[in-house]
Amino acid sequence: MDNIVLSVEHVHKKIGKKMIIKDVTFDVREGEIFGFLGPNGAGKTTTIRMLVDLIKPSSGTIKVYGYDVNRDQENALQYVGSIVENPEVYTYLTGWENLEHFARMQSGVEEARIQEVVDIVRLDQRIHDKVRTYSLGMRQRLGIAQALLGRPKLLILDEPTNGLDPKGIKELRLFIRKLAEEGLAVLVSSHLLSEIQLLCDRVAIISQGSILAVGEVNELVSQNADYVIWEMEPLSEGEIILSQFEGVHLVESAESVLDDSLIAGMSVNSVVTQNEEGIIPAILLRLVKAGIAVKGVNKINPTLEQLFLQMTEGENIE
Amino acid sequence: MNSSKWIWRIVSVASIATTLVLLVGFIYAIKDVNAPQVGVENERPSQPIGEGVADSMDKKKEYKIAAIGDSLAKGTGDQTGSGFVKRSVEGLAKSSSKKTTLLNNLGINGLTTDGLVKKLDEEGVQYVLKQSDIIILSIGGNDLFQGAQLLSSAKGKSGETTNTTSTSTVQDVTAEKITSALPKASAQLKVALEKIRTINPDSYIIYVGLYNPFGDMKELKVVGNEAVTKWNNVALTTINKYENMTLVPTFDLFTHNLKRYLSTDHFHPNAEGYQQIANRIVQGIE
Amino acid sequence: MSNILPLIQNECIKIIKKKRFYVVLLVLLVLVPIFTYAQMRSSELSRDKFNGDWRLELQQQITDNQNSLGSDRIPEEWKKYRLIFVQQLQYYLDHNVNPKEPNGVTFTREFMDNSINLFIPLLIMAIASDIVSGERTTGTIKMLLTRPVKRWKVLLSKMITMIMFVSLIIFSTFAISYLISGAFFGYVGFNIPVFTGFQISGSNVDMSAVHAVPQWEYLLMQCGLIWFVAVTVALLAFMVSVLVKSTAASIVVMMAALIAGTILTNMASAWTSAKYLFMVNLQLTNYLAGTPAPIEGMNLNFSLIVLGIWALVSVVVSFTVFTKRDILN
Repeated sequence: MDNIVLSVEHVHKKIGKKMIIKDVTFDVREGEIFGFLGPNGAGKTTTIRMLVDLIKPSSGTIKVYGYDVNRDQENALQYVGSIVENPEVYTYLTGWENLEHFARMQSGVEEARIQEVVDIVRLDQRIHDKVRTYSLGMRQRLGIAQALLGRPKLLILDEPTNGLDPKGIKELRLFIRKLAEEGLAVLVSSHLLSEIQLLCDRVAIISQGSILAVGEVNELVSQNADYVIWEMEPLSEGEIILSQFEGVHLVESAESVLDDSLIAGMSVNSVVTQNEEGIIPAILLRLVKAGIAVKGVNKINPTLEQLFLQMTEGENIE
Repeated sequence: MNSSKWIWRIVSVASIATTLVLLVGFIYAIKDVNAPQVGVENERPSQPIGEGVADSMDKKKEYKIAAIGDSLAKGTGDQTGSGFVKRSVEGLAKSSSKKTTLLNNLGINGLTTDGLVKKLDEEGVQYVLKQSDIIILSIGGNDLFQGAQLLSSAKGKSGETTNTTSTSTVQDVTAEKITSALPKASAQLKVALEKIRTINPDSYIIYVGLYNPFGDMKELKVVGNEAVTKWNNVALTTINKYENMTLVPTFDLFTHNLKRYLSTDHFHPNAEGYQQIANRIVQGIE
Repeated sequence: MSNILPLIQNECIKIIKKKRFYVVLLVLLVLVPIFTYAQMRSSELSRDKFNGDWRLELQQQITDNQNSLGSDRIPEEWKKYRLIFVQQLQYYLDHNVNPKEPNGVTFTREFMDNSINLFIPLLIMAIASDIVSGERTTGTIKMLLTRPVKRWKVLLSKMITMIMFVSLIIFSTFAISYLISGAFFGYVGFNIPVFTGFQISGSNVDMSAVHAVPQWEYLLMQCGLIWFVAVTVALLAFMVSVLVKSTAASIVVMMAALIAGTILTNMASAWTSAKYLFMVNLQLTNYLAGTPAPIEGMNLNFSLIVLGIWALVSVVVSFTVFTKRDILN
């Protein structure tokens, strides 16, 4: 567990009488993309604001390379680049002036570095225009340029894909990957589960102010058994065979475990089962022998959605 | 694209410079108010004060008029506010072909001969008088009818003061008071007239004589009449000594017309009364 | 780590680029000619009336005021006020100095005198009320505070910048007023003597300390006092700007306080503890001109201390709140 960039320990936050954040603990290491996943209102943004000293935790510590973010901002935050929610930059300044502005707030950021980050986010064409005239995607890029300005070791992006088109999202994903390969730790928050799954190495799942689970995305996925969709004719006979088979469990209501999109694509003659590993060929053999026409066997990898649904037990997700 | 650098340079230099200047001013102001440097009056070379033109009345192209004295000069009691001063200026403008301007009306309510003599020492008053061709003076009423001051100030409160109510107030103005005030006041009048003469030897001075506002009251009619006559006589003796000085009598005007010419305070003339005085002033000038 | 100077530089550039300062200049450029024109008309009018002789005008002013002194219907405070006024006019007359000689410098002096309690504070608020709440309205405060800079440094840089612009605004007011009115009345008058040092004790003016200063010196002192008032108002507006999220709300709060001040000043005297309110103490230049203070017991040092305390409290509140506050949106 070397190279820990960010360590969050037992952080609580009370606003008014309400405990908004309860005992949040996690680490982010060099070179990894860490997902911060939860529905809206779960406390993602509050936690992220605490990471960058916009909000002081009621108790617990947040450290970047050992420097306390809330006590020793000047040392801790020099390693951190961030975009909290929307990239709010000064619209009455040009992109370049914005970057100059933030460069002055940090030592060691020269004009050459500004040019460098402008090139990285490919804004050089419009950098001397007023930000007022920028599209949302361009502002997002300017925000990232701003975050990269101080050569951070930790990049915090709060809902970075908000408002981006699919092409932009894909670009961003590749971009973040590239940064991580260069050794940067990236913390990405999202309420879009697929996004985390596509992007992140590790993930913390947060709901109602508490961390439900922290772990490798793959690990969390493999903890869950596979689902299989069987399409066959005649269905009723097939169902009987499946239900008698050792290690197979018929799922009564498919809606509770599968995505709506999958269910919509299912034919009427389908049944969903949960199997033990590696028994599909044996089942198939039995079905064929019984003269049942198997039209399709579809193995579904469990998604974070299912994972999340199981953990939060039906809390609403967008 | 170095505009921001220039903005910074200009703003910082300019603001630091102005801040320093303003700070100096601030400290200076505190010092000056708390410990004023007395006596460093760097007197400006005083401009030559315009001397009155020494031409005789007829040759003058324009009449510059100043009025000085008591509430009558001011025009108290005249609902239109004109008083005899403005009315005579207007009358003069009509009857003569000359340009007539009112320089200043220095009438002050309640002014007595004492006050007038003091006032004549004031630089500003002297300046006005020096510039004038015609000086209209009204004074003395307050010396004689001291208590009547009460009446003039009561006028605003009751629009229609009847004779009966005013008689009770007028009781203050006793016969003794009137007669006792006479000698000193008439001496002061003499001083005042002479002063004005010295201030401006060439102007035409018009003194507006007194009338008896209490001519319709039994207790005061005789005393009042006597005092006013004596007063006017004293004034005349002084006035007669000088050329270019005249007394405009008002005693006869008011004697039998008090109801017609007095305002509701039963002391000052009303608009019509002032008009009558003004007519006489105009006659006195021509 | 990072120096405060670059932060001040940032704030200056933002104010200029946000065109806040231009708005102030524009307001001045529009309003000053209007005032100048009004002044020109009124001086033309009195020229017609008094043969163009200021002595006559002044004497009439004295007489009129003396007359009103005699009336019983005028409240005592007003009488006192007028008595003092008359005495001052008399002094000018005796020394043959026209207190209102129409020229660019005198106009500027009077204009500055009249703007101290409302107009200049208003201009100041255009910048001071926006400097913190403006960043919160747009959300840029998040960017500002996630940089490796202590919060108090961010706030201090804003405060210093604001004071720099206070100075610039006062200078601009002076410069624009002088340049525009000078075009009408002439650019002369810096050396005209102006009397100061009237000390009011009770209903009398103590003339023993009266002395003449050249007008430029008077102007300098006047602007110095205006600067102090303006800094105080700016610091108060700054505090409100820290406390209130929207710029509009913070302007409204400050405006209400200032207008309450002018109303209180006019009602005055009966409620003596009102003298501890900052808005009653804004007319510092009155002490220079010898105009009686609205409430018994006020003098320059008193007002300076009252304003100073208000300013200090606002600074303390601003820093305490700003460094502790959670930025929730």
